[in-house]
Amino acid sequence: MMWLPLLGLILGVTLGLLSDIQIPQIYSNYLSIAILAALDSLFGGMRASLQQVYDDKIFITGFFFNIVLAIGLAFLGVHLGLDLYLAAIFAFGIRLFQNIAIIRRILLTKWANRKKNQE
Amino acid sequence: MRHQLKFTIVLLIIGFLVAIQYNTVQKPAERDTRDMWAIRFELSNEQKMHSDLLNEIRNLDKTIQTYQSLNEENAETALQDTVEDLRKQAGMTDIVGPGLIIEVNPSPESIAIGAEISDISPDLLTRFVNELNRVEWQALEIDGKRYTSLSSIRDINGYTTVNGLNVASPPFLIKVVTDTIEDSEKAYNGLHASLIHDDFYLDDLLLKIGMPMERVEVKGWKEKINNLYLKELPKGE
Repeated sequence: MMWLPLLGLILGVTLGLLSDIQIPQIYSNYLSIAILAALDSLFGGMRASLQQVYDDKIFITGFFFNIVLAIGLAFLGVHLGLDLYLAAIFAFGIRLFQNIAIIRRILLTKWANRKKNQE
Repeated sequence: MRHQLKFTIVLLIIGFLVAIQYNTVQKPAERDTRDMWAIRFELSNEQKMHSDLLNEIRNLDKTIQTYQSLNEENAETALQDTVEDLRKQAGMTDIVGPGLIIEVNPSPESIAIGAEISDISPDLLTRFVNELNRVEWQALEIDGKRYTSLSSIRDINGYTTVNGLNVASPPFLIKVVTDTIEDSEKAYNGLHASLIHDDFYLDDLLLKIGMPMERVEVKGWKEKINNLYLKELPKGE
């Protein structure tokens, strides 16, 4: 059941590498923040789906909205002379760790339960 | 199943973004930092190469025509001509043409103080050949030894050698043959302006560059050339 998303990831990476698209160096900061935001949404979605509270609308809107917000914040920061992108990195970084920790616990509990059931 | 599709799309986008970021960070686009003169210089080099190649094509066309126009009896002569041409290119024949004669002498100062005359070092001789390569030349002879593209300038047991033969202690002669007298003049001017004189002077040597002459004779390299890499094709192919 994990195969389809994994296939998507591989396909995306291959497409990106093969297309050889490069963005100007000054925008690479924005892209890295966008990637962070996307990863945050992804792990949030995975956690929600494991906790059975997953909602399509929240996941998809969150994904795009987070990316736009992060880029917007970084853009604003550049124009204000303030490193606002750090706020985005900080927030997304913490949430990423929390989400991954929750996912790990849920998976561990599931695994322990299955073992107990087998016995 | 529907969630999976959404996750797949999201992961695809993430993968794509990561790959683009990787491209940007790992392979920054190379900037062309040459200025106009550097580009002009490169252009002139390419044009020169172009004209050289055209020249070569013309010569080869001529050879083909000769082969085609001659009947069978004369085919051998045509082949002989080609072989002779190749021998000339390889430096195996004597060449007479416009050129320069360069004398390598001990410097007057070293004679005055009675210093021992030192042989020319292989490094200095190689440097001289490199300096000469700045201009066009056809044949070069160092102390009676023909210098070809297969020649080596080396130190053998403390003696400087060209093609394995010792170079005499100065004074000795270096002869250069060029295609035209204009090339000789260019070589003359180029060598006069070059910094190679300083290098010779450091070794107590003096380079006396003779005026361009209409007739300079350079001996051929008569030894057999060892062919290490070329192989004869089987007949009929």
